[in-house]
Amino acid sequence: MSSIALLGNPNTGKTSLFNTLTSSYEYVGNWAGVTVEKKVGDLKNGAGTLIDLPGIYSLHPLSRDEGVATQYLLEESPEALVNIVDASQLERNLLLTVQLLEYGRPTVIGLNMIDVANARGIKVHPDVLQSKLGVNVLPLVARTGKGSAQVLSMLENSADIPAVNFKLDYGLIVEQAISSIERELSQEIGLPNHRWVALQLLEKNPVILEFLKGRADTDKLLAIRQNCQNELQNSKLAHTLPQWIRSIRTDYIRSLCLDALDTSGLKPHNLTERLDSILTNRYLGLPIFLAFMYVLFKTTFEWVGAPLSDLLDGLISGPISSGAASFLDTAGASDFVHALIIDGIIGGVGGVLVFVPQIFILFLIISFVEDSGYMARVSLVVDSIMERMGLNGKAFIPFIIGFGCNVPAVMAARSIEQPKERMLTTLLLPLMSCSARLPVYLLFAAVFFPENQAAVIMTMYALGVVFALLLCKLFSKYLFKNESSVFVIELPPYRMPQLKSLSRSTWEKGKGFLRKAGTIILAGSAIIWIMSYTGPAGLNVDMDSSFLAKFGGLVAPLLQPLGFGFWQAGSTLVPGFLAKEVVVSTMNIIYHAPEAAGLEAQISQAFTPLSSVSFMVFILLYTPCLATVGVIKKETASWKWTFFSIAYAVVLAYLVSLVIYQGGRLLGWA
Amino acid sequence: MIASVCHLLQLQPGSAGAIQGIEGMDPVLRRRLADLGVSEGCTVCLKGKGPFMGPVMLECNGQLLAIRRKEASKIVVNVS
Repeated sequence: MSSIALLGNPNTGKTSLFNTLTSSYEYVGNWAGVTVEKKVGDLKNGAGTLIDLPGIYSLHPLSRDEGVATQYLLEESPEALVNIVDASQLERNLLLTVQLLEYGRPTVIGLNMIDVANARGIKVHPDVLQSKLGVNVLPLVARTGKGSAQVLSMLENSADIPAVNFKLDYGLIVEQAISSIERELSQEIGLPNHRWVALQLLEKNPVILEFLKGRADTDKLLAIRQNCQNELQNSKLAHTLPQWIRSIRTDYIRSLCLDALDTSGLKPHNLTERLDSILTNRYLGLPIFLAFMYVLFKTTFEWVGAPLSDLLDGLISGPISSGAASFLDTAGASDFVHALIIDGIIGGVGGVLVFVPQIFILFLIISFVEDSGYMARVSLVVDSIMERMGLNGKAFIPFIIGFGCNVPAVMAARSIEQPKERMLTTLLLPLMSCSARLPVYLLFAAVFFPENQAAVIMTMYALGVVFALLLCKLFSKYLFKNESSVFVIELPPYRMPQLKSLSRSTWEKGKGFLRKAGTIILAGSAIIWIMSYTGPAGLNVDMDSSFLAKFGGLVAPLLQPLGFGFWQAGSTLVPGFLAKEVVVSTMNIIYHAPEAAGLEAQISQAFTPLSSVSFMVFILLYTPCLATVGVIKKETASWKWTFFSIAYAVVLAYLVSLVIYQGGRLLGWA
Repeated sequence: MIASVCHLLQLQPGSAGAIQGIEGMDPVLRRRLADLGVSEGCTVCLKGKGPFMGPVMLECNGQLLAIRRKEASKIVVNVS
């Protein structure tokens, strides 16, 4: 089995190619086309595995995400590389290609987006590139799959891909330094191409330096580097060594493009410019974005989501529930098993499954925004607001993804270049209402605010964003030392997302929810039901004297000032920490309501409109779920910050709910 | 027409200039701009200015990108 690495700039269609070349597919977290972690898939022809690495502009990483690719090239030795380049952005893309060719492994170049290039009046000659670079160059349209069969057949036998013999002349001074570094490294085994390592070292690539520490005499290597730079400066060739290396490469690429590229017929981005003049307009940009968000919520929760949910609810509480009941009766199941399956499992899991349509519609819209190119514009539109809060507009993209699920959102924060901004984004992301909190809002909004469901739900989402921004200001002022905020974002041209990729990415995002319904929520429902069925007095006890009631009763007094100091509310909060979806399924079990209408009636008895708001806010703000805590730990690599993210959330939730409930009472809203 | 030197922010939206120098910019940002192909000698076009003193949109080699105004003011361009 051979392993083949797939590399390229962001937004070049790497993931599309990966999908068409491999049969299995693991979603890891993707925004605006950026893969966040390396993904591994099996090649369709069984020739080996393909590794999809994060999109990078060069091997020198600026964000954490980008370090993954260099690390991979250093530590693993792929049989071959597939470098995907964007034909409409050839000059920029070739910078990475040069670095990859210097790596010296057999390489295939996939010249993607030739359709886009042609439409813009750019003519690329693959044959010229192929002969000048000395590697195979295959024209592609990855979005439609055109040309990917050739790539696949080329990878069939990776041993047959010709070795790369690519060498740029970096001038006498640098070449001498390269030779002395190569001499230093000659004893080291397990290193990739020494010339490549030497060049990356001269470029001051931090990943390479870290890797060489403990393996080689880094002091000596750094001394060679410093000498080389001094000589360059003395001979007035360049300011710094990386600049010199870059300029050699750029000159080479320019001369290459003169032969391989014909841009004489270049046309401007007409459609994109016209759209941008409206969507990122200095006056209209923000109102359009807000209107868009409003439509998003309206569609998800009222126009399309709610009718579908009702349909599903009717199916689960009707035919499915009664079907299962009559099956159990025929099978002669005991009362315990009967109650466990009907009340515990179908009631609990079913109560959450009815929200699947809303969640999938939300994910569909998020995928559409990602694929269309509007996501990058959103960060441009909100940047000036975010900057005032101590973040940059790029952090807004993880925030929007957080509306779907906080876990990929935390990972998406990796693409933010500055460590401080990345940390702040990670810490504040749990304040974004993920799809798991949605069922709670939907339930309570339907009971107490049936006229204004979308408005109430949107307010909850907005509240999360407002608190995130306020806390951001606070944290960036007191917790982090001043580090400048930088903002630079590539704006891809607008394009109409393809139905196929849209449905795939929606499914990939949404299936996590279904998987949770089948595992955590199923197990949680069963446990909660058993706790409600049993008590100190034995089995089948009255709910009020069950273990669940006892347990909820312990928490209840603390919640009294918030307006929901009864055991039923208290006992939803702890399982809610495991997964917030469990909150609603717990309620289904506690209120013994197999269908939505029954639960709504019970809830309208237990809560008042004011306490329902207080409860929703508490669910919105209190601790991220266990999975999110897990990724926060992984991303921050610090228990201190992980605990901090839990603690501030609990304190905030308590304080805000307290203010809402007590304030509301003072105003006479009880 | 006589060539004149100014910084990027002073360009009229829709007009272009050749980058003469980039001074005093955050090194991280500068590297990223270079990765995107924005460096001395290339032509940039100021496409538009974002809302509320927000970022400006640029085009360089057919690539659209956005940076903040204060950073754009550190790019000196030559308009001919």
